[in-house]
Amino acid sequence: MTPLRARFLGMGGLVVVCLGLLGLAAWHLVALERQMRISATENMIWIFGQTQAEALHLALALSDGADPAAVETRFDLLLSRLGLLDQGPQRRFLQAAGVFDVLSGWSATLLDNDPAAGGDLGALAEDVTRLTATLRGSASLAMSHEWQEQAAHLDRLGHLHRLALMAVLVAGLAGLGLALILIDRERRLMRARLDRIEAARLAHALERERELSENHRQFADLIAHQLRTPLAVIDSAMHRLTRHGATASAALIAEKAAVSREAVARLVSLSDTALMMSRLERDAIQPRLRAHDLHELAQTCVEGLARSRPADAARVTVIAPETPVTAACDLSLTSEILSNLIGNGLAYAPPESPVEVAVGADHGQVWCRISDRGPGMSAADLARAFDRFRRGAGQGSVPGSGLGLTLARHLARLQGGEVTLAPRAGGGLTATLTLPKPAP
Amino acid sequence: MTLTALLTLTLPAHADQPILTLTGKVSGGHVAISRAQLEGLGWHELVTSTSVTDGPQRFRGVLMRDLLALAGAQGDSVRATALNDYVIDIPASDFDRFDVLAALYMNGEALGPRDKGPVWIVYPRDDFAELQDIRYDMRWVWQLVGLEVR
Repeated sequence: MTPLRARFLGMGGLVVVCLGLLGLAAWHLVALERQMRISATENMIWIFGQTQAEALHLALALSDGADPAAVETRFDLLLSRLGLLDQGPQRRFLQAAGVFDVLSGWSATLLDNDPAAGGDLGALAEDVTRLTATLRGSASLAMSHEWQEQAAHLDRLGHLHRLALMAVLVAGLAGLGLALILIDRERRLMRARLDRIEAARLAHALERERELSENHRQFADLIAHQLRTPLAVIDSAMHRLTRHGATASAALIAEKAAVSREAVARLVSLSDTALMMSRLERDAIQPRLRAHDLHELAQTCVEGLARSRPADAARVTVIAPETPVTAACDLSLTSEILSNLIGNGLAYAPPESPVEVAVGADHGQVWCRISDRGPGMSAADLARAFDRFRRGAGQGSVPGSGLGLTLARHLARLQGGEVTLAPRAGGGLTATLTLPKPAP
Repeated sequence: MTLTALLTLTLPAHADQPILTLTGKVSGGHVAISRAQLEGLGWHELVTSTSVTDGPQRFRGVLMRDLLALAGAQGDSVRATALNDYVIDIPASDFDRFDVLAALYMNGEALGPRDKGPVWIVYPRDDFAELQDIRYDMRWVWQLVGLEVR
């Protein structure tokens, strides 16, 4: 038998013992209640006394030579009491007390001189005197028998009471044992539950640590790779200028400076993204949600772009909505998302092709859609577009970290919003940022 | 022969002699009721065991509440007196809650003063557990002769 099975059997046994003892106690208490009822027949001393009194009353009436009606009434009453003693429970009591025989037959004896039938009152008086003496002689016997009966009855009640009390006490002890077992069991279960929760927490922390570590490794690879290109560009530009030395034309210097500055801008952008991802992973970003006009935000992003890359900015059209579209969002985080999505549209679509930015509201949310006329994405690429370091197939030549969409979605979700991608009708890709409306 | 005719044959000779006296809060403060008057009330039968006999007994008589109504009783309790001066107070509500009989017959025989007659107050003891109690057994007044409505 397994320890668990033995444990359950033990507990079941205790429950059965408990219930059995309580049932026993209840049964004893019911018996006790029934036995405690007093019935009229238990008052035999009173009945006996009444019979004696009636006999004396009749004797008195007869000795006084009272009026016949009174004698008849007293005679009737005495017969009635003698009849009562001759019935059912009273008769059995007198038999048990050993006085029935001396009292039986008196009704017939008295009726021999029935006053109503003109009987001999003198003879009746003698009979009644003898009956009175007989009753007096038997009274103490009847009384002692009744008290013995009562004492035995009280003994039985006391016995039942003790049994019921004992059963309740033992049931209480068994119940206490059961409660202790259950408490112990509950304590073990609770400890096991806590252990499981702690193990899950540790596993989760370990997984997160592993993920972070993997991210860092990938990131280090990416940085090493992405740093090489702009650094090589700068190095090459510097090399050309060095080679020409003092003879370098102003035009060449300007050209190489522009190439170097673009490479540096890419390095700065890469380090900004890296910094933002690092802060996200440390949960160090706390969005400050305020009501902002989404159209204005998009406009500002394009204006910012115009300062560094005017040719790209010229391709972007921000369509003004009919009514203002206000979002509950963090100004800088939302600007980062929009810049990112617009930058993607510009980078992946053919040069000179337009990128459209539209804002609107529906279903309790506001949105900003950035649509390009690029090659779009396959269903497989769409499904994994938001994975970290994931870049569209065949997009290796386009500069980028592979973190932009991941970052955009993270930042949108931080503000209660979302970023999704979908094919654009007529070719290209539409990126949609949705954000909550400000509370009214 | 009808039952009423049979009953009439078994009645004692002086059917118009009062057998029960009601006093107190009754019509005129004093009402004497004869057997003949009881005949005018509806008769009821009741089978029950008693505390002083063995086995169920068949009682026949009139309902106590009919009896009190006949006398125009207006009280909360009744002090019953027996031939031997036994006295007990009975709440009048007993007669509304239970079909309590003023029995004149037991097992077909008229109750007489040499037994428990002429009137015995009988409760439907076997039909209600609460009636199987000394507090109700005491109200089974036999040889009933007087009722004082209070």
